[in-house]
Amino acid sequence: MRRALLPLLLLAGCSKGPEADLQYISQARSLGFEWAMVNQLAAQGKLTAAYVQTMRESLKKQLGTTASALTQPESQYGNEIRALVAEPGNASAAELRTHAGKLKQIEDSLESD
Amino acid sequence: MKPDSLIKLVSELLDLPLYDVEGKYCGIVDDIELTGGPGKDLKLKALLVGPGAYKGRLPGWAIWLVKKIAGDRVTRVPMDKVHSIGAAVHLECSGWQLGLHKSERRAAEWIPHGGAL
Amino acid sequence: MNPIELTLGIMTAVGGFVDISQVVFAALAGSVFGYSLIWAFALSTVGIIVYGEMSGRVAAVAKQPVFNLIRHRLGLKLGFITLAASVLSTLITCAAEIGGLGLLLRYLTGAPYLLMATISAAALMGCIWILPFKWIERIFGLLGLLMLVFVFALTAIDPPWEKIAAGFLPQIPPGLSSKELLNFSYFAVAIFSAVMFPYETYFYSSGGIEEEWGPKDLPTNRVTAIAGMALGSLLSIAMLASAAQLFGPAGVGPQIPGSVALQTAIPFGPVGLVLALLGILFAVAGAAIETCMANAYSIAQFFGWIWGRHKKPWEAPRFTIAWVALLLLSLAIVLTGVDPMSLVQYAIVFSILVLPLTYLPLMLLADDKKYMGKYVNGRLAKVLGWLFFVLIVLMAIAALPLFVITSGGQG
Repeated sequence: MRRALLPLLLLAGCSKGPEADLQYISQARSLGFEWAMVNQLAAQGKLTAAYVQTMRESLKKQLGTTASALTQPESQYGNEIRALVAEPGNASAAELRTHAGKLKQIEDSLESD
Repeated sequence: MKPDSLIKLVSELLDLPLYDVEGKYCGIVDDIELTGGPGKDLKLKALLVGPGAYKGRLPGWAIWLVKKIAGDRVTRVPMDKVHSIGAAVHLECSGWQLGLHKSERRAAEWIPHGGAL
Repeated sequence: MNPIELTLGIMTAVGGFVDISQVVFAALAGSVFGYSLIWAFALSTVGIIVYGEMSGRVAAVAKQPVFNLIRHRLGLKLGFITLAASVLSTLITCAAEIGGLGLLLRYLTGAPYLLMATISAAALMGCIWILPFKWIERIFGLLGLLMLVFVFALTAIDPPWEKIAAGFLPQIPPGLSSKELLNFSYFAVAIFSAVMFPYETYFYSSGGIEEEWGPKDLPTNRVTAIAGMALGSLLSIAMLASAAQLFGPAGVGPQIPGSVALQTAIPFGPVGLVLALLGILFAVAGAAIETCMANAYSIAQFFGWIWGRHKKPWEAPRFTIAWVALLLLSLAIVLTGVDPMSLVQYAIVFSILVLPLTYLPLMLLADDKKYMGKYVNGRLAKVLGWLFFVLIVLMAIAALPLFVITSGGQG
């Protein structure tokens, strides 16, 4: 029984850390930039109120799900994602792009490793 | 093709649609009944219509599933009620006489009449 | 050919071409891979035109729906396996469409998603019950033409047309890492699946019987299939190209269906946004009806029940019970709370697995002189049909491993 579990445990060990979290970092980066786009267009009066509210709720909810899926939540990217989630729905586009931009840098450095 | 001609059972009869003398669609030929025996001529005795006729043609798990969805009713259509066999089987009488529309009639009791344009 | 009927038929096909899966994957593909997956939409559209025309021709000439003929040609056992597989994949697709409707109504009104999904299902039930077949097709198909706003939006943002044109050639972008290549492959497979969903041929052929097509309608069938579907695919390609221009450079890889409407809001403001959402709403509603009815057609035709919306609901009672039950089952799947985007992914994967089972019987039927007489497949239909069949089989084999390895295209 233990021998059968060993490969699974090894696999589990391998699927932790920044490499395993890369897809969530990408998701959070994308969601952050999308949120920024929504807020920028909302500020320009290009969207309806119902759409803005719904998109903000959906994006924040998705970000929360992404944050909870991280294998290393206390990492630099984990902190950045949490900071993004903590932003109010009507945060400035620039502020949201700052968070998303940092995630993009982390994503790029992990991909080039 | 007349019902007493030579016929290829699988390619020219099984799974063909049935129409009655009024042109109403009555189902599909789901299986057949034969008379005859070893050393004797095989003759078509009847067509079997309904999901209950799938036994022998489908595995057990599929029969169970079919029974849940479509029931297990079988209606027997004697060959003397068959007018001709071609791209479809045409009957010499109304489907009602043979009991071919019973399931639809039972199902229709559940459907409200009205509201459709 | 009646020119008015033909024009309406083509317009209906254009507006009814897109569904929620195409919306999702067009936007994602454009944002992640730029213009380099346009060819996947174009090529898969050729595939659905080939098989769509074939299924309409079979219905018009053999005057029997495809599933009746599948049973006769392949036998009960293989016919049952085909039925079970297609009903399951189409059920998931229907659930994805209803989930999509719930989301779209939420974007429009702000009302809760599950409530909107339930109201959508009830409204669809009412439409199928009340409206004759032709009205159902025409209303949702024509209202789906509101999606033309995506084409105008693309034009308004002045995209690089030469890059869009180049995207029509089959290609793999240079310099992709192995992970990106796997993702690219998954997207290509997903787009094929989304465009060539099995329910489309079942609905199209059954619709031909509903409208009492005969050999005289074959030219209409051919023109509608070619022009309608080709023009319809331009809607998806427009969404992809706009995503490449607007989302990709901004670091956005749209994760939710509502994101695609931003493409029209950028040039046209709230009017563009609302038109886009309404266009998608009607296109997806049409797809939900098609998937529900395609399943009901398949089940009724397989078991030999009276079927068709050209009859009143009480004149085809088991068929009516079937589509009502299927619609409620699809809604039940949505009400479990499963993420609608996940439903889209499952629909895509299940459908590509089922596609070979769908298109092989159709090829065999359309190739069979016993059923088709002089209207049997010509050389072009035969060659294209078998070429696409081989392609579909290869994609079906690759789909599940790609889905698992790439986590549904997420990397």
